[in-house]
Amino acid sequence: MRKLTAFIVSLFILAPLGLLYYKHNNLNLSLLPHKVDDTWNLHISLKPKDPTETSVSFPIPKHSAGIRVTDERIRAKGFETILDRNYDSVMMTWMSNEPITKTVSYSARVDVVPVKFENIKKDFTTEYPRGMNKYLKIPELSEEETEGLRLLEQAIYEGNEDKSLIARKAFYYVSEEIQRNLKFRTLKDALNIGRGTPLVKARMYAYMMRRKNIPARVLVVTKLPLKDEPNHDGKLYFSFMNEIFLNNRWIPVSTNIGTFGEIDENFLVFHRNYEEVEQLISKKKIVYNIKVNRAVLNKFNREDFRKEVIKKSAFFGGISLHRLPLPVQAVFSTILLIPLGALVLCVARNLLGVPTFGMFTPILLTVFFKETSLMFGLCFFLVVVLIGIAERYLLDKFRLLAIPRMSIILTLVIMLLMVVAITGVAEFFGSGHIGYFPIVIVTVFIERFSIMLTEDGPVNTAKTLIGTLVIAVLTFLIYSIETIEMLIFTNPELLFVVIAILILIGKYKGYRLSELIRFKNLVEQMRSQKKGL
Amino acid sequence: MIFQDMKRLGILGINNRIGRYILPLNERKNYPLVDNKVKTAARAQAWGIAMPENYLIIENNGDLKNLASELAQRKSFVVKPANGSQGNGILVIIEVLRDQNDKICFRRSNGKIMSLGDIKHHISGILSGLYSLSGSNDIAIIQQKIEIHPVFEDYCFGGIPDVRVIVLNGFPVMSMVRLPTRTSDGKANLHQGAIGAGIRIKDGTTQNAVIRNRVVSEHPDTHKDIRGLVIPDWREVLDLSARCYDMVGLGYIGVDIVITPHDGPILLELNARPGLAIQIANQAGLLPRLEKISKDAPQGLSARERVDYSMSVF
Repeated sequence: MRKLTAFIVSLFILAPLGLLYYKHNNLNLSLLPHKVDDTWNLHISLKPKDPTETSVSFPIPKHSAGIRVTDERIRAKGFETILDRNYDSVMMTWMSNEPITKTVSYSARVDVVPVKFENIKKDFTTEYPRGMNKYLKIPELSEEETEGLRLLEQAIYEGNEDKSLIARKAFYYVSEEIQRNLKFRTLKDALNIGRGTPLVKARMYAYMMRRKNIPARVLVVTKLPLKDEPNHDGKLYFSFMNEIFLNNRWIPVSTNIGTFGEIDENFLVFHRNYEEVEQLISKKKIVYNIKVNRAVLNKFNREDFRKEVIKKSAFFGGISLHRLPLPVQAVFSTILLIPLGALVLCVARNLLGVPTFGMFTPILLTVFFKETSLMFGLCFFLVVVLIGIAERYLLDKFRLLAIPRMSIILTLVIMLLMVVAITGVAEFFGSGHIGYFPIVIVTVFIERFSIMLTEDGPVNTAKTLIGTLVIAVLTFLIYSIETIEMLIFTNPELLFVVIAILILIGKYKGYRLSELIRFKNLVEQMRSQKKGL
Repeated sequence: MIFQDMKRLGILGINNRIGRYILPLNERKNYPLVDNKVKTAARAQAWGIAMPENYLIIENNGDLKNLASELAQRKSFVVKPANGSQGNGILVIIEVLRDQNDKICFRRSNGKIMSLGDIKHHISGILSGLYSLSGSNDIAIIQQKIEIHPVFEDYCFGGIPDVRVIVLNGFPVMSMVRLPTRTSDGKANLHQGAIGAGIRIKDGTTQNAVIRNRVVSEHPDTHKDIRGLVIPDWREVLDLSARCYDMVGLGYIGVDIVITPHDGPILLELNARPGLAIQIANQAGLLPRLEKISKDAPQGLSARERVDYSMSVF
C-alpha cells in the first residue's frame, strides 16, 4: 500500500512535469502565454518652422519584422492626413487649407523585438533588380574623398572576397578605426583623422558598400531607454545605422554600436532611407519632439498563445483550453483554481487545524470574492453573519420547522441581493455583477452558522468564522496571482500534481499545529509529573 | 520541540487517530450501528446488553399527535436524536407537571419549565435533521431518564455522569468519568465545561481531573475532592465495554456507559470517532497503550479475558 501510494504520488508529480518539459523543450511551446510588457507608448509631436506651411511630413515606424505598431492615434482636427506606406518605410503627412500653426501629433503603441541573422552565407550576386538602383548609387564625392576611399579599400581588401566578407571587413574597419566623435561631420574628416559622427560613420559604410556593388542604405533609428535606465526622460534622438542587401535579404549593420546582422530590442527603426528624410529630420524645417514611455500592460496575450498552441502541435492544440471561446476560457480559469483552494483548505485544516465552516464554504467564499471584489465580498459576508445572528435570536422564537425556516433565510438572502442591486452598493465596491451562485451557499452557511451559535456558543463560532474568513482571504490572494491562474489554465495536467499533494496530506499522520496549543498544558503537566520524560 | 515532546509522551493527534486507527479498524458499513441509536438499541437487545428503555420513537411529525398522552404517564424522560453526537439535541426532563391552567408542562434538568409546544418544536428540530451528523432527516427517541448512582451525588451538578472507555480491538485502553457542572448545563460534555476525570483501568479509581485544559482537584460546584473516587461496578463497566466491540465489530470505539443505582452499568451510546480529550483527563498519552495492545495483546480472547489483560497492564 505504501509503495503503491508512493508510486501514484510520484507518477502524478512526474508525469505532468515531464509533459510540461516535453511541451516546453520539444515542442518549443511557451509555458505561459507571453506577457505583453515590452511595448512602448510612442508620441511624436511636430510643427513646421515656416508659419505659412500648409503641410508637414514626418517618418513614423513601420509595422514590420521586429516592430509591431498598434493603437495608432493621430491628432488631426481640421487636418487631412496621408499615410504614405512605401516599400519599407511609412511617411505621414498632415495637410490643411490653412497654414499649420499648432502642433500636430502622432502616437502609437510600439512593440520592438530583436532581430538577428545568423550564418550569413557567401554572396556573389552581380545583378540586382532595378528597384535596388537607388541603394547602389554612389553620390558625388570630392576627389580627395574618392581617393581616400580607394586607398582604404586597397588596404583592407585582398581582392578575392565574396560580398559577405567584404561587408564584414568594411564593418570591422569603420566600427573599430573610426572613433565616434560629434565634432567631425564630414567624410573627409573620417578618412583623414579617423573620427566621425554616427551619421558620418553610417554614410561612410554605405558608400563603401555601394562602391563594391552591394546595395546599402542608412537607417534612421532611435535608441529606446534600457530597463536599467529608469531615470531616462523618454525623450528620443535620432541615430543612424545601416542595412545591406546580402543573399536577397536586408541585413542590419551598426558601425556605431558594433553589431553585424542584428538589431537590439532597444532600437526602433523610423525610416529605412536616410536620404529621403534628411531634410525632415534635420530640424531646419520642422520642430519635433519624440517621446516614449514603457506601457505597463502586463497582460497575458491569450489570442497569440492560442495560435501558437494550434500551430505547434495538432494534439495539444486539439486538447488545449485555449481553443475555447474567450468567455468560456474566463469561466474555466476560475474553475481550475478551485482545486488549489481545496489544497489550501486541506493544509489549513489537516496540517494547521484551522476550524472552518464545512469543507466548501471557504472555497466558495473565495470564488465569490473573485467574482465580485474582496471589499464587496467581505461586506456582504458581514451582513450575512448578521442575518445568521438574527436567525439565532429572532427566528428561533417562532419555532419553525427546519425547511420553512431555511426557506425564509433563502428569501432574506434574495432580498438582500435585491437591495444590493438597487442601491448600487455593488457598483460602489467595484463589482458589477452577482450571480445565482451566492444564494445557496449563503443560505446554507447562515443555517450552519446559526446552529453552531446555538450549540457551541459564540466563542467557538467566532473562532470558526475567523478561520473561514482567513482561509478564504488567503485563497483569494493566491487566486489573484495571475501567473498561477494562467499556468494551471495553460497546463491543466498540473492538477494531477495537486492530487499528489492532496494524497500526501491525506496520508499525514503527524500532529496538527492547533494540537500544539490544545495539548500544551498537558505536555507541561506531564513533564512536571515526570511521566515518560 | 513541543511536537517531539508530544510524540515522546505518546499523545495521539487527530490525523493519527483517523489515519492509523479509525480508517483501518472501523469499517464504514458498521458505522450506522453506532451512529444511529435506534439501530444500536436493537443490536444491544439482541446481544443482551442493557440500554436505557425507549418509551417512544418518533419518525415523523405526524407521530407528535399522541405525544401529550404518552408523556403524561411518565415521571421523567429524555428526548434525544437517534443520529446525534456530542450530546447535542438532548433534552432531559426531570419532572412532568401541570401549570395553573392544568396544562401539561415539563421541568428540565436545569430547572427551566418547558411547555408541550417547546418539546414539540425541539422534536421537530430533531426530525428535520438539526442535530444529526449528516444534517439529513432524523428520528427522535423519547427515553427513560436514568437516575444518578448515589456514589456520584456529591460529584455532579445536575445531570448524570457517564463513563467513557476507549476500546481497541476489544481491549479497554483508557477511561474517564465525565461529571456535569453548572457551566456544562448539567451535560456530561467536556466541550461545554464538564469535568473529565481519568480512571485507572486496574482498579477503577479516578486519578486526575480537568475542566477543559485546566487540572482541578475538586468539583467547582460541590467542592468535593474528585481524585480517588472509586467507580462502582468497575469490573462490569469494563466487561460491558469490551463486549461492545464484539457487538458492533469496530476496532476503535468510545463506549459511553452510565452506572444506574439498581441495574448496574448500562450502555448509553457508542462512538466511532471518540475524541482525544480523554488524554488530558488522564494526563497520559493514548499511543503507548494502543501500541501495547497492537503489539503484545494475545489474539482470540473472550471479552472477559481481554478485560483481565487490560486490568493487568494498565
